[in-house]
Amino acid sequence: MLLRRFFSIKAVSRVAAFLPPAALVFATAILFAEALPAIKYNGLGFLTHTQWRPGNFYVNPVTTDGVTHPVGALYGALPLILGTLESSVLALLIAVPVSIGAALIIVEKLPDRLSQTVGLFLEILAGIPSVIFGLWGTLTVGPILARDVFPLISQMAPNIAFFRFFKGNTGHGEGLLTSGIVLAIMVIPIIASTSRDLLRQIPPITKEGGTALGFTDWETNRWISLPWIRTGLIGASVLGLARALGETMAVAMTSGAVLGANPSNAFLPMTTIAATIVSQLDSALTDATGLATRTLAEAALLLTLIALATNVAARVLVRRVSSTALPVGRGI
Amino acid sequence: MIQQGEHVDVQSFGAPASGSDNHLGPTDLIVSTKELCLGFGQKTVIADIDLSFRRGSITALIGPSGSGKTTFLRTLNRMNDNVKGFRRTGDVLFNSESIWSPKIDLLALRRRVGMLFQRANPFPMSIEQNVIAGVKAHNIAKKSQLNQIAKMRLEEVGLWKAVETRLHDSPFRLSGGQQQLLCLARALAIGPDVLLLDEPTSALDPTSIEAVENLILSLSPAITFIVVTHNLAQARRISHDTAFFFEGQLTEYGSTKQIFEDPSRPETQRYVSGRMG
Repeated sequence: MLLRRFFSIKAVSRVAAFLPPAALVFATAILFAEALPAIKYNGLGFLTHTQWRPGNFYVNPVTTDGVTHPVGALYGALPLILGTLESSVLALLIAVPVSIGAALIIVEKLPDRLSQTVGLFLEILAGIPSVIFGLWGTLTVGPILARDVFPLISQMAPNIAFFRFFKGNTGHGEGLLTSGIVLAIMVIPIIASTSRDLLRQIPPITKEGGTALGFTDWETNRWISLPWIRTGLIGASVLGLARALGETMAVAMTSGAVLGANPSNAFLPMTTIAATIVSQLDSALTDATGLATRTLAEAALLLTLIALATNVAARVLVRRVSSTALPVGRGI
Repeated sequence: MIQQGEHVDVQSFGAPASGSDNHLGPTDLIVSTKELCLGFGQKTVIADIDLSFRRGSITALIGPSGSGKTTFLRTLNRMNDNVKGFRRTGDVLFNSESIWSPKIDLLALRRRVGMLFQRANPFPMSIEQNVIAGVKAHNIAKKSQLNQIAKMRLEEVGLWKAVETRLHDSPFRLSGGQQQLLCLARALAIGPDVLLLDEPTSALDPTSIEAVENLILSLSPAITFIVVTHNLAQARRISHDTAFFFEGQLTEYGSTKQIFEDPSRPETQRYVSGRMG
């Protein structure tokens, strides 16, 4: 009887409901505990320094403020943080317009049969392991971009504020823009398929209202369809952003993963938090004091915080936008 | 049913018998259909409709569900053109010109022939923006006049007092009746000659129905109204002429008084007396 009560559906689902938040709290707490000595040793400089020096593993370690560390260890994650944000933002800048355009065409223009086929490929694309994108990016896309596309961009980019970042040495195909483009290709299926589903939910009578008023297709899309799914679009973009921020393998393979890199333009090698963790783990394990792995844990904690902050910001944004009380796509 | 060889003369069809309650002047036809057949895929929805609408009149299209009224109505401003499998033979003349003529600009046609739907369908923008959406799309007013136009149209439909202080709020918080009036204001703002109404009050409460009906009456004869309705009392209250659709055919057409009081066809008789439908 007791056993039955213990395993009742209500009890089980109550436990299940608390699992995700518990897992988040647990993972963050463990990460924090693991990173604590590194946080103490690296201090605030972790956020501002640009060097990533594990120190000398071949002389006896020393102890500073109760933390044992190799001589000369100095960790700064600023390039990692910037690289993470830059590559993800770049990916979104490319992916969001392309995805919305793709979704509009799939829903509004393509004949049923073709629309289903294209939709199917979109979903298949979303399921391809990231290492494949990485390999493809570094072997094929990167070199082609560096040879044929980047020089063109560099030449065309106007010499003003934001675009100055796209001028200068075009590198060898491993770098920020290559990563951004490969990330965009990985993120497009997520945003496009969500947008497509949202567009299909718009009541036909609402769009017909535009048609009956003499709107062109473009006006109907611009003034009715897209505003109607606005909050859902923000949600979809944040899903994509989360994927881009945390993407590891593809970026590790296409970014150049150069530690301490601070690329002067969008074509040169860089690295991200996730790429650094995966590419540095092996050598970090050889640090007998454990500081190197603890520093990687600190970097992981930082990535968690960035991802959480993005999510919270998106929710605030959605709440503000949805105050016009649109019937679909509320919340995410 | 209108049999072959029994074609009724459109011109005389359009002119109701003298002595009707019609106050309108001479029979100037604004929209007429010529042997119009419509269908989707294999299915034929309506066949051989010759029907003309007098400028400034209010015409009710009545008939049981599935008789093709709405398909007919939506064809008049070419809303069916993009519907999958839609096919048509015959023609629709607007001011004596085919609406499918290459000389006709589709968007301009829809500006002249507007439409109001079964349910209110405000756009996801503020109340004020809703009213002037069409004006902006057709570029028919200066930017500085837009506020004025919004106010004028909202006053015209009697909504101004209710929304005066929340012009920039969402239209989705208005009541169903207010939303429908807003859609009417939006349709009026681009100055249509004809308004097609597809059961415009079927989702509304009696007070809102009265408001919409009074508005239609006050806008006639400046605007020609063609109204699909299942509400026979409404057809009697507001329309000058009535067309009875039955099983894809135009069974009978005449002045509203004649159709309701002295129908010449047995099907019409059964429908308007409530024994069918």
